[in-house]
Amino acid sequence: MTVEGGVQYSKIAEIKGPLVIVDDVENAAFDELVEIETKDGERRLGKVLEVGNGKAIVQVFEGTTGLSISGTNAKFVGKVMEMPVSKEVLGRVFDGLGRPKDGLPDPIADKFIDINGEPMNPEQREYPKDFIQTGVSVIDGMITLVRGQKLPIFSGSGMSHNLLAAQIARQASVVGTQDDFAVVFAAIGVQFSEAEYFKRSLEESGALKRSVLFLNLADDPAIERIITPRVALTVAEYLAFDLGMHVLVILTDMTNYAEALREISAAREEVPGRKGYPGYLYTDLSTIYERAGKLNGRKGSVTQVPILSMPSDDITHPIPDLTGYITEGQIVLGRDLFRQGVYPPVNILMSLSRLMKDGIGEGSTREDHGEISNQNYDAYSRAQEVRALAGIVGKAGLTEIDLKYMDVGDVFEKEFLTQATDENRTIDETLSILWKVVSQLPKNELTKVKDKFVDKYYQEK
Amino acid sequence: MAAQGRIVWVSGPAVRADGMSDAKMYETVVVGNSKLVGEVIRLTGDVAFIQVYESTSGLKPGEPVIGTGNPLSVLLGPGIIGQLYDGIQRPLRELSKASGSFIGRGITTTPVDMTKKYHFVPTVSNGDVVHPGNVIGTVQETDLIEHSIMVPPEHPGGVISNMVSEGDYDLETEIAKTEKDGETIVLKMYHKWPVRKPRPYKNRYDPTVPLLTGQRVIDTFFPIAKGGTGSIPGAFGTGKTVTLHQIAKWADSQVVVYIGCGERGNEMTEVLVEFPHLKDPRSGKPLMDRTVLVANTSNMPVAAREASIYTGVTIAEYYRDMGKDVVLVADSTSRWAEALREMSGRLEEMPAEEGYPSYLASRLAEFYERAGRVRATGSPDRDGSVTLVGAVSPSGGDFTEPVTTHTMRFIKTFWALDAKLAYSRHYPSINWMNSYSGYLADISKWWGENINEDWLSLRSEAYGVLQREDTLKEIVRLLGPEALPDEEKLILEIARMIKIGLLQQNSFDDVDTYCSPEKQYKLLKLLVDFYNRGQQALKEGAELSDIRAMSIIGSLLKARMEVKDDEMPKLEQLDKEMQEQFKAITGVKISN
Amino acid sequence: MASNTALEKTIDKILTQTEKDILSNIQSALTESQQTLDNAVPRLQQEYDKILSDGRKEAEKIEKQIIGSSDLEARNKQLMSLEEAVDKVFTQALEQIANTDRSGNYANLINSLLDESTKILGTTNVSVLTNSKDKDVVQSELSKFPGAELSSETISCLGGVIIKSKDGAMTFDNTIDARIERLKPLIRKDIATKFGVGK
Repeated sequence: MTVEGGVQYSKIAEIKGPLVIVDDVENAAFDELVEIETKDGERRLGKVLEVGNGKAIVQVFEGTTGLSISGTNAKFVGKVMEMPVSKEVLGRVFDGLGRPKDGLPDPIADKFIDINGEPMNPEQREYPKDFIQTGVSVIDGMITLVRGQKLPIFSGSGMSHNLLAAQIARQASVVGTQDDFAVVFAAIGVQFSEAEYFKRSLEESGALKRSVLFLNLADDPAIERIITPRVALTVAEYLAFDLGMHVLVILTDMTNYAEALREISAAREEVPGRKGYPGYLYTDLSTIYERAGKLNGRKGSVTQVPILSMPSDDITHPIPDLTGYITEGQIVLGRDLFRQGVYPPVNILMSLSRLMKDGIGEGSTREDHGEISNQNYDAYSRAQEVRALAGIVGKAGLTEIDLKYMDVGDVFEKEFLTQATDENRTIDETLSILWKVVSQLPKNELTKVKDKFVDKYYQEK
Repeated sequence: MAAQGRIVWVSGPAVRADGMSDAKMYETVVVGNSKLVGEVIRLTGDVAFIQVYESTSGLKPGEPVIGTGNPLSVLLGPGIIGQLYDGIQRPLRELSKASGSFIGRGITTTPVDMTKKYHFVPTVSNGDVVHPGNVIGTVQETDLIEHSIMVPPEHPGGVISNMVSEGDYDLETEIAKTEKDGETIVLKMYHKWPVRKPRPYKNRYDPTVPLLTGQRVIDTFFPIAKGGTGSIPGAFGTGKTVTLHQIAKWADSQVVVYIGCGERGNEMTEVLVEFPHLKDPRSGKPLMDRTVLVANTSNMPVAAREASIYTGVTIAEYYRDMGKDVVLVADSTSRWAEALREMSGRLEEMPAEEGYPSYLASRLAEFYERAGRVRATGSPDRDGSVTLVGAVSPSGGDFTEPVTTHTMRFIKTFWALDAKLAYSRHYPSINWMNSYSGYLADISKWWGENINEDWLSLRSEAYGVLQREDTLKEIVRLLGPEALPDEEKLILEIARMIKIGLLQQNSFDDVDTYCSPEKQYKLLKLLVDFYNRGQQALKEGAELSDIRAMSIIGSLLKARMEVKDDEMPKLEQLDKEMQEQFKAITGVKISN
Repeated sequence: MASNTALEKTIDKILTQTEKDILSNIQSALTESQQTLDNAVPRLQQEYDKILSDGRKEAEKIEKQIIGSSDLEARNKQLMSLEEAVDKVFTQALEQIANTDRSGNYANLINSLLDESTKILGTTNVSVLTNSKDKDVVQSELSKFPGAELSSETISCLGGVIIKSKDGAMTFDNTIDARIERLKPLIRKDIATKFGVGK
């Protein structure tokens, strides 16, 4: 969108929190990009949140620290915020607002794209069903990821979500045709070391040249975080739908994003929803997550793996809660498994991939995949019950079959779940371990798999 | 005189315009240079508060606002079935022709193809007197839907003239005229109706016929009646959407209206991809031939999300008036409530609980009140129903939040989804202790007459086992299973069998996805018989371990997947085997 | 002696027993050590293999890394030199503009810049700033804009005008510099295309 603009206004009525309120504004549009010039000539970017009756409320991405009522100018640029894109963005590093951070010039744009994107027409979506082999058993076997899916990792502070996300990015890029795969990584308020780990990991696998990095680090402006996922997804959509690439987008940490949103909402004195987050948090998050997908008649796809740390490991906290309502499943990391040193510490009972059913089975993975995965869920959940019971009544109080379920739990965690960070398992290896797990049980316990599969795959001792 | 004003303020989907003293409440207006669609939701002096159904990015104060003089309405006529609409009845397929893969703005289309010809068969003749609601002819809309062309509800009625003869006509053809008191009115195959106003009917009945969904935990344990109301609340990951899709697929209604209200885009795509390939189990025709989709996904403008519920229910009432049973599934009413909350916040209204407006409860009540089994107005006599099923997405899975608690006041069937069950992959994760159905007594007569007289008592017996298990589980949790006597251990075993063999249902399994009422009854009976025979065997001295070791158990648990609806004799066979195996274990004991 | 013999026998017996024990102990120790040795071989082999495969993995990693980053470095150098070229073109173009003849057509340009700016601000009651070179042209065009005044202040720019509302609250920068700045991304793309990059 381009509107007439370029007028600079110098009557600043109020500065509060991340907001600047400009008076006597005659010519400004909702959502318009604003350049704020400080007294010392420093330039910051912002956008219009509300306009009317001669006033414009502008949200300043880099924060309002150091701004003063007099001497601050606001120039309404006449367009919404855009990201210049071209194939040459691959291998580049940008800041949280999409400006080069690697000492190289601005990309010579093939196109300028509104960073807010437009909603995909549901009628034009292609239903995602292409299996992505990540080489991580627990994901491929039990929480299968497909192209065009949005599947977040729900983690807690200090857990190994970054290791896992990096492993997925590395290994998913190895399989299949190499050239049409790209990784877009957006660091949203994370520490330098975490972003650096990710970058190095991509470098080591040779995938850096097929990656685009957007870095808003912990010490970068907080309000910028509103923009970071949006510029990243704008680039991802371009790579996917204009250039036909399969793009994996990693957004970490969405909790920091939501906190920036809360800060703006508080400054606007809006009626808060739960835990002080704005009532529109769901809608706002959806404008990010719903940018994953595939489109009819276009080659590429945008797959999202957002990472968020659950405050106090609480899955009912508004951020994981609302995320879970939008995304197509979730990978939940478990504190207990993490403490026991299990990697990846995925709590499969709380995890889920909604699109799994269409990405697996005959023709993509293997005929028995769905049923053997169900049987493992069932058996592992039973194993957890038995463990709890054993904690109270002791092993002596357990039945023979209960004891076998204890074995299931052990084999599942030690052989199936546990995996090295550079171990890349094939889907056949993964499925074979799943059969090994349930083969701890007598055949008649396998109620979720058809007899023909039991006959074919059950591993007799 | 249509209002012509000027924008003075923009904030997200909310716009204020002055010079609007001629505007009416809930009038549709055209906003700005890009001609966005909006609706007046408050008038103060000459300032109108407008909610805009499209993205307002780039909208400026000073741009024009023009009234249309009409309230937000839907077009009702042949061509609706099989469509995918946005929240204000714009066909998404047509939108994509104008703006490609992403949804553009300011696009105007007609909800149905006005040039498509339908074969019209008149049912009245010139000189006949018609009243509002009278059927004047029919067209075959799809293979499954015979569409009645009715005199609009607010039409004054009159004497028919200029009736066309049977033949192919498009929607704009004048098919007849009515005359009354010197006034002539043209009738076409369509009319418009304001979405926020319920369509009238003659009488309302008590719902007594079950809506069969093919889902055992619903039909057998917590049934809903045709014309009834139901709600399905659940935290994310509990399988809400899958359950709703199952209802939309297999319910024995003639028309299904599925509203994706603030939910995922891919879910609507899934319906679009899947339904044309699925066959209605009764007619064998593609399910899409009876389905209408309304999609306002979470990332589409929030105001249109608010409207989508009304758009959907008005379409449902229209087909009801033809004498059809219609199921409307709304996923999710929580997102609709959030849209209300967001607009209310922008209006700076005083918030009630959790920021929701104080009129949340009354809006919910109004919506669910549009369900019902009715006799339509006009002749011939037509009985139809609208069954409303609303999903609720309680934040944090907390059923005490406002949308869930208010909804519970207005619905009669409550399917409580349970995260714990979902975590252990018990699907559908409908919790049998927290769910209820207020229609059980009303519809048991139907089961008695159509399936078997002892249905209700079998259902109570099975439910009794589940209730007993719930108390026994507490003891096991504290003392371990060995602390229980054998009869009670058997109850635990039977409860497990009911859960796996009956309550659980795999919607992705070709056989298990739909279960006929006959099969539901037989499975229920097999399990209850097993229970009674097991208790008897224990009394006769059989060992519990012998019962547990019976090979029939595995077959009973897999019968839901292994026995197709047309293979009922196989279930009889299972019954025989069960009797023999019980004989064998009690027999062994006696000879000892 | 009998007792003596008995004692000797016992001692003898004990000795034999001990000898047997010792022998058998030695035997089992031998077998054991043999066993350990036998076991050690495959383990050693495994460890050796692991060291090799780890090394190989590491080598692969490094290889990938080197190939990846050298590709990238080459590309980045290319980007830099392209940028340099674009900048050169740009600088030359700006010089040309700065030295454009101020007669004839230039007055029309100033007029259209003034016209556009006053429309955007919504008033002609403005003060106008320009550089010393353009002062005369601007002054002569201002008569067509009632209320507009030339400010005594001059600015440094290539050409064009800055317009301010009289109270100073609104400013519109319509200098050639600002216009070029606004268009720069598009101009860069045009120049790059002429170099044969990114069609």
